[in-house]
Amino acid sequence: MAVEGSLRPGGQAAQLALNMKLIAHNELAGFGGVGEGINMQKTKDGRRILWLAHESAPKNFTGVDVTDPRNPKMIVQTDLPHADVRSNSLDVVGDIMAVAYQTKKWGLKPAGFDLFDVSKPEQPKLISHFDASGPHSRGAHCVFFVDGEYVHLTSGAADFEPTNPKDDQFYRIIDVRNPSKPTEVGRWWYPGTRKGDSAPPPPRHPKFDGGYRPHNTNVYPKKPNRAYVAYIDGGAWILDIGDKSKPKPVGHLQYSPPYNGFTHTVLPLIERGYLVISDECVKDNGEDWPKLTWVVDARVESNLVPVATLPLPPAESFIKRGGRYGSHNMHENQPGPCSFRSETLIFATFFNGGVRAFDLTNAFQPKEVGYFVPGAPKLAPKGSAQINDVWVDENRLVYAVDRFGGGLYTLETSF
Amino acid sequence: MSQTQVSPSTTRDALAGLIPVSIITGFLGSGKTTLLNRLLKRPEMNRVAVIVNELGEIGIDNDLVEVSSEQMMLLNNGCLCCVLRGDLQETLRDLFIKRRNGEIIDFDRVVIETTGLADPAPVMQTLITDSLLLEQYRLDCVVTLVDAVNAPGQLVQFTEPVKQVALADRLVVTKSDLVTEQQLSALTSRLREINPKAPVKVALNGEVELSFLVDVGLRRADARLEEVERWLGAGEEEDEHGHTHRHDQTVQTFVLRFDRPLAWEAFTQCLEVLTALRGPDLLRVKGLVNVAGKAGPMVVQGVQHLFHPPLELAAWPSTDRTTRLVFITRGIARETVADLFKAIGAVTAGQPV
Repeated sequence: MAVEGSLRPGGQAAQLALNMKLIAHNELAGFGGVGEGINMQKTKDGRRILWLAHESAPKNFTGVDVTDPRNPKMIVQTDLPHADVRSNSLDVVGDIMAVAYQTKKWGLKPAGFDLFDVSKPEQPKLISHFDASGPHSRGAHCVFFVDGEYVHLTSGAADFEPTNPKDDQFYRIIDVRNPSKPTEVGRWWYPGTRKGDSAPPPPRHPKFDGGYRPHNTNVYPKKPNRAYVAYIDGGAWILDIGDKSKPKPVGHLQYSPPYNGFTHTVLPLIERGYLVISDECVKDNGEDWPKLTWVVDARVESNLVPVATLPLPPAESFIKRGGRYGSHNMHENQPGPCSFRSETLIFATFFNGGVRAFDLTNAFQPKEVGYFVPGAPKLAPKGSAQINDVWVDENRLVYAVDRFGGGLYTLETSF
Repeated sequence: MSQTQVSPSTTRDALAGLIPVSIITGFLGSGKTTLLNRLLKRPEMNRVAVIVNELGEIGIDNDLVEVSSEQMMLLNNGCLCCVLRGDLQETLRDLFIKRRNGEIIDFDRVVIETTGLADPAPVMQTLITDSLLLEQYRLDCVVTLVDAVNAPGQLVQFTEPVKQVALADRLVVTKSDLVTEQQLSALTSRLREINPKAPVKVALNGEVELSFLVDVGLRRADARLEEVERWLGAGEEEDEHGHTHRHDQTVQTFVLRFDRPLAWEAFTQCLEVLTALRGPDLLRVKGLVNVAGKAGPMVVQGVQHLFHPPLELAAWPSTDRTTRLVFITRGIARETVADLFKAIGAVTAGQPV
């Protein structure tokens, strides 16, 4: 049988879509590289502002007015102080926005996070800076801030010296009830990753040493005594944070090796007692495939049981598109007036595999129900779209962002 | 957002998002190839995948072909034409996989040409029962072509054409220019006797627009009244005594209505008994069932002995909550089915239905 690779217009890196329709696209004034911080603010005057943290310098964050979702308007875009720092992650509660700062090397500043007053979204006003810089710290990679009271942070600290240079960040709980004076109230790190620990340093991943540090640290007001922490090569953790000063592990799942590490997000389906755990693909051209998203039965927290993975199209087809292909971010059921929340529908991003939606009604057999893979953006460095993160609003409009130049894609679903 | 969009829920709509499939059937020489040849060139065929028996037979001019392979050709209007390979399950699965892998166009509709001798029932059954296909596709419409010249004879001589007409959601009369107006009107009356619910269109020179061949099946769980009525077919309703005014001797079309909610177990038991006893003669069943304890109606559809897994609609499309079931049968009278429902309903539910 003849090869049928060309029976679509636009060739290999062309747009693909099922049950998701592009209704708007904004390249963010030529700075269309977005990291993994997206959240939506509903302003007091009724506007809907989508806040995006950039993947890397020179831009810090961008605000887009999506009140009319078909006509997104960029209202503000800010710059970083220098090229050796990135923001990557942000969250918004009410009119307060937290933005993470991570430096390329230890000892640089700013490293930590800023709190901004965005009551006038066109003019974000700095409230305070939480300094996490130090001789062994790159600052913060990720913030999770949804209750207006605590920032759950992945960060280094001035007093933290890792046993391995790759393990330089850990889980920190920062009280921001007084936003002008953020104060650390608790922390937890993987035993053996800090110099002086009684536990031995954990074994390195034999093929891809991604490090032992958290990525996402999710805590939901619906279950305030639990932190769901993805610990890169250290697997997935559930921590009891009933006493914030003493987080206590209650559940742990480690599946790497044999898998290729980089546990990225632990999303709890709180009502149903499942976790959806994504890995991050960090290598181009399928080198670290498979990077999967796991469905895990967490009804007994001390015995986490993987029961399925989200069904993905074959790697052979997508690796050819260029860049990374595999799991990464998910919409995380954030609380808040504009956020979509579901115990069965999961939206996730897969770099050149685009943004994809899954129905987990039957947790043992998740179904793919829609996808959108943009065509390669202009001047795409990898020759393909690299969809990095996704956020879904309460009207089930999907906001997906590209890691390099593609910017913001707004999609309507039909399932 | 569009005006028609209703507020999305936090769960998936089991119907919306499935790719609709239309089946084109018709007796040998009924003009399927001519119709397909014309249809394929229409601009609205963009993003439609058409499964044909042979690419060569369709006779598409080379200058309309964008790219082609042994099994498929992409036309410059965006229509993908592909050959039935192996069985239909395999072809439809393969098409979906190729679509997902980005190897072919993002088709959002499928049209299947059946072979001239084919009984459309197995094709329909495949679509309503194959567990893999059910995840991606839904049966939208069965279109039967009727050749104005030969059909009157064929409908007397053979049983297959009668079945093809009876199973149709839409009837297209071809070659009407070769018969007199009188012959044409005799044929359409005959078609109405066999299938009073399917709209009939006379196609001139094999021309028929895509819109007549699509959008019959239910498209979403929050279907509106007109969508439900379109699916069930308007046509002739029986009078208060349960009699239609015109009959065909072999094919009966009738509607059963039940005012009170039914127990699901009793209802399925009725269908089981009916299919066990008269499966082959139960040509087509479709309808909405008011099931005790359910907020929305259950959608039921079957072809002979096989039924689609039941689906629940989000809500009743109107205040009318009576169960309505359309039966198209070969020689099963309305009374037989009604009595069965009465008997089993009485036995299992302990109350008359």
